[in-house]
Amino acid sequence: MARAQGLYSQVIAWLKILLPLVALGLMSTLFLFSRSTDPVSELPFADNLRRTGDAISEMVSAPHFSGTTSRGDMVTVTAKRALPQVSGDVDAEEVTARLQMQDGSEINLDATRAKVKEGEQRVTMRDGVRITSSTGYELTTDVLVSGINEIDVESEGPVQGNGPLGTLNAGKMRIETVENGKDVQMLFTGGVKLVYLPQNK
Amino acid sequence: QGAQVAFGGNQDTSAPVEVTADSLSVNQKDGTALYTGNVIIAQGDMRLAAPRVLVVYSEAQQKIQRLEATGGVTMVSGSEAAEAERADYSPEEGVVVMSGNVLLTQGASALTSQKMTVNLESGTAQLSGRVKTVLNQDGQ
Repeated sequence: MARAQGLYSQVIAWLKILLPLVALGLMSTLFLFSRSTDPVSELPFADNLRRTGDAISEMVSAPHFSGTTSRGDMVTVTAKRALPQVSGDVDAEEVTARLQMQDGSEINLDATRAKVKEGEQRVTMRDGVRITSSTGYELTTDVLVSGINEIDVESEGPVQGNGPLGTLNAGKMRIETVENGKDVQMLFTGGVKLVYLPQNK
Repeated sequence: QGAQVAFGGNQDTSAPVEVTADSLSVNQKDGTALYTGNVIIAQGDMRLAAPRVLVVYSEAQQKIQRLEATGGVTMVSGSEAAEAERADYSPEEGVVVMSGNVLLTQGASALTSQKMTVNLESGTAQLSGRVKTVLNQDGQ
């Protein structure tokens, strides 16, 4: 059926061609001129984690190691944070090693940094090591090595501080079980000096 | 019978007592402390040397009741010296009790006895138990 003559039909015929083309042009701009968005760099990473590097190795908070000796004494090592290393050792911070003897006496070892060698069941404590015992001794030293499954503590250098008897310093200190295996003793060697102030009358 | 002699000047018994030794072992159960290896107890000008000293400590009053020096003790105070097998020194009272063939030398003369109690504060020594005085005649 031929198209009716007249301007109106001609305009409609042209529009039927032009309008789809315009639509097509509009659609294409959607993809051609869109902003160059690179999805990878836009993702918001947590910046503070990346700086401290914590994100790389997994971190254990409030870890807890403990061991009991054959005599029944308990050694518990707790820390605020621990970073297990590839080598199997564990670096810990704000560490406390608590030695509870079966005869009831107790010795606490605190330090800001420590390295626990799980394989050898030993912990090396450094930086401001403090030794407090239930018999009233409060001593400090630089580096201290303590066993985890036995009462065997040794300071690598001089120890100083005070005890019930007065101020004390010594070349070296060991905490070990006495030969008969019943009692635990603190052994100071390498020259010991104590100053006691009598509070008489 | 006993003898009373002067021994060392009178001593301030509240002066700090210094104990030096090669090693010290502290038993954690009852807190007794044992010094071994040329132990020297010093207070003021009094020196007490012994190979082994046990500290008897009274938990209640938080102070040393006495220091038991054994294994051959020499005590020097001022110009006098005394030797014995054992000495018990209590810093609070300022008294040293030496026992076991005590030998006290004072200048030229020497006294021996079984027991000697030295009061540091008053500077006197009380000897008892078979006291013998040996006076060296000079010029022999």
